[in-house]
Amino acid sequence: MESPTTASIRFAPSPIDGLPTTTSYMQAETEEVLLKHVAPSAPGSSPPTLDKRAHMQYLIRNLIQGFPSRYISQDASQPWLLFWTLQSFSILQVGLDPGNKERTIKKVLSLQHPDGGFGGGPGQSAHLLPTYAAVCTLAIAGRPGPDGGWDQIDRKKMYNFFMSLKQKDGSFLVAKHAEVDVRGIYCLLVTATLLDMLTPELVAGTAEFIASCQTYEGGFSSSSQPYFSVSQTQTPSPSPSPSPSLLLPFPRPSLGEAHGGYTFCSLASWVALRPMFPHIFKEQRPSIDTPNLLRWLTHMQGNAIEVGGFRGRTNKLVDGCYSWWCGGCFPLLEALDVCANDNVVVVVGGGGHGQPNYPPTGETAAAGEEGEAQEEVWDDVDDALYSRIALQEYILYAGQHPAGGLRDKPPKNPDAYHTLYCLSGLSSAQHHVKPSEYRRAEILKCWKPSTRTDNTNNNNNNNEDDDGHVDDDIRKDVFSYMLCWTEDESGSDILGGSVNRLNATHPVTNLTMSHTEAIMSHFYGQTLPNNQSHF
Amino acid sequence: MEPTLEPLLFADRPHWADVIPQAQYEDGDPVAPIFYTEEYKDATDYFRGIVKIGEQSQRVLELTESIIRQNPAHYTAWQYRYETLLAINAPLDVELRLMDELAIKFMKTYQVWHHRQLLVVLTRKPQAELAFITRALSGEDQKNYHTWSYRQWLLSYFNDEEELWSGELDFVDEMLTRDVRNNSAWHHRFFVVWASGVREGEEDRERIVRRELIYVKQNISFAPNNFAAWNYLRGMLTHLKMPFSTVIDFVKLYTVPFDPSRTDIVDLENPPPSKQAHLPCVHAIEFLADIHEREGGQSGIEQAVELWRQLVKEDTMRKP
Repeated sequence: MESPTTASIRFAPSPIDGLPTTTSYMQAETEEVLLKHVAPSAPGSSPPTLDKRAHMQYLIRNLIQGFPSRYISQDASQPWLLFWTLQSFSILQVGLDPGNKERTIKKVLSLQHPDGGFGGGPGQSAHLLPTYAAVCTLAIAGRPGPDGGWDQIDRKKMYNFFMSLKQKDGSFLVAKHAEVDVRGIYCLLVTATLLDMLTPELVAGTAEFIASCQTYEGGFSSSSQPYFSVSQTQTPSPSPSPSPSLLLPFPRPSLGEAHGGYTFCSLASWVALRPMFPHIFKEQRPSIDTPNLLRWLTHMQGNAIEVGGFRGRTNKLVDGCYSWWCGGCFPLLEALDVCANDNVVVVVGGGGHGQPNYPPTGETAAAGEEGEAQEEVWDDVDDALYSRIALQEYILYAGQHPAGGLRDKPPKNPDAYHTLYCLSGLSSAQHHVKPSEYRRAEILKCWKPSTRTDNTNNNNNNNEDDDGHVDDDIRKDVFSYMLCWTEDESGSDILGGSVNRLNATHPVTNLTMSHTEAIMSHFYGQTLPNNQSHF
Repeated sequence: MEPTLEPLLFADRPHWADVIPQAQYEDGDPVAPIFYTEEYKDATDYFRGIVKIGEQSQRVLELTESIIRQNPAHYTAWQYRYETLLAINAPLDVELRLMDELAIKFMKTYQVWHHRQLLVVLTRKPQAELAFITRALSGEDQKNYHTWSYRQWLLSYFNDEEELWSGELDFVDEMLTRDVRNNSAWHHRFFVVWASGVREGEEDRERIVRRELIYVKQNISFAPNNFAAWNYLRGMLTHLKMPFSTVIDFVKLYTVPFDPSRTDIVDLENPPPSKQAHLPCVHAIEFLADIHEREGGQSGIEQAVELWRQLVKEDTMRKP
């Protein structure tokens, strides 16, 4: 039992140091509200419950009756409304009935653009973000065969659409004439991974671009900007885009500060790309500063008075959606240990206290040096580095709206986006999902050598005699690394007990493992061995 | 402002009578529909009609503006508007003035900032743009992500020392004087001083290092529990490959409780915490632990572990 004094220290407000500013006023206001939502400390108080029934009703209402007119702001995100809703069902362990599956498939297919990719609504232009949401919705509701949605995806045109957005620095526009950012890269890479479309041509320069978005704080920003040469800027060219010779590797500053959403997109993209590294990099590989990323991520978790929720940037407010964008990064960090053929080294401190051992030089452990003496497997990286129970408390005590649906923070209303990302974050905090070399070996044993079924650009890979082999090796690695995630049941820790249990979700795709396996097996033409720890 | 004499709906406007509006869904009963207002449905029906025939004309600007005002995230309307502006050779300065209003009104929307970017690439008048951004960031939302990253894009794309870069440090200082906890401003300072190469007038790096150390230490002393400022200090040392122990004397001042017997001295190298500071400061303890750990050896590690034990008491969320 907690004495009042300990409790008052534990729930101490953030220090203002006698210098209040806009930031500290907003923080204090939020803490005052959240303090009413901290876990009751009275003895015998019942554990928090996830009100699954209320959330289901909220989601069903949105799906069947529709979204109120304030969702006009999401009119260009219609596949997202479907994905947020359907994936919330999947996490809540609920499947969709055949009638609504048909209606969903029909709607998603009406969003496919005649020139490839999917748009935010019928007649809207193709865009990388709705393309991810549409394909993931089809992964949940669709199937192979006529009218099943999967085989109606035009992958050849989608690949050409992707290539049309590619920039010289390895990044992608999110749509024609639109902005560059790492959300688009994440959406593109997940889509290409699920649909068997990853090629060295598609991802040339992309890993370097992602690495360049990491800021001095450790998290990632939206984008980065290569400089023009000085002589070029003194006589401005009328051409809106620089010619390749003017792109410099340095300086390439990040645009915007470290941010939870962009950090998830960058890290998940990095994890999705890593199986390609041995195939696309001969000597020097790009690297990211893993220890600094870890430090930043752990500091994004709020204090006790903030009920352990995550914020998305330094000195900003906690928000339920960062339960996934920040909390969801911890399992991804585990993947950086498992890809054996990579030189990213994660370092642990001595004495088993689990504190990351920052390299003594101030250099990053991932700077490309071998550093084998320091290399160790990081056990229970997520247990040690963020409080999974505290995050569950935030979502259960502060994230649930009493009338159903989940939210940013009280007293806000719920919405479709926050409902999914609170549930995904809760799921990630409940389950310990990690890549397994054993599972990967099993998958590889069953691999049937093949070439791509119908899509993309085998014609463009014209300077290799043995295209088929190269292609097959890449596909095998992409497939097996993406599907080797398993759940360690002994590592699950569910606040409120098994009534609150959710399905686990894939740390990269944010689909369940079954949905990820089903759609990938179809497009890669593979049959998977049975999975003991299926989620 | 829009002329208000026009009927509300495009369906009621005589000069739109020749366009055939296109309903969104052939199937009248899609799953997960949005309940559109009549005005939005009307405008988007006419937009689909226009896109279908590929018309690019002055009235397309009227139509896309209507959609954008109702849903600024309608990226297809923005895209079509941009192509139309180019096709009809519309005056881009006029467009930018309209965007001045929309950018402030819909500040959190990606498209309002990106559209400006497309225009400025063509008009090549970055200086006026920098002034507009300053105005936008002086309003209620001083941490707007799009606005800050747009400023950074503008600086690096046009890369003009005299017209653009020369005022940036003063700007950052102004923003941090308003709110020393604004991490967007700290990031901008890092962008300007360290991440963008050596700027004109900053070639004497020793002087710059000294200047920045004094700047960040002073700001930490005003409000020590400010994660943003500590991150700047760590970031610059790491960037310069300077050992963290360079600042050990400064950091130590913040790892102990306030000393009431302290006499006030002005020490730019090691400014002490303000009298109202909440001490000890967790960020300082973490920093000192990292110094000891990097120094290594048995005594270094032991001291680090001791500090981590202290951190557990001060910071209950992160357990070393």
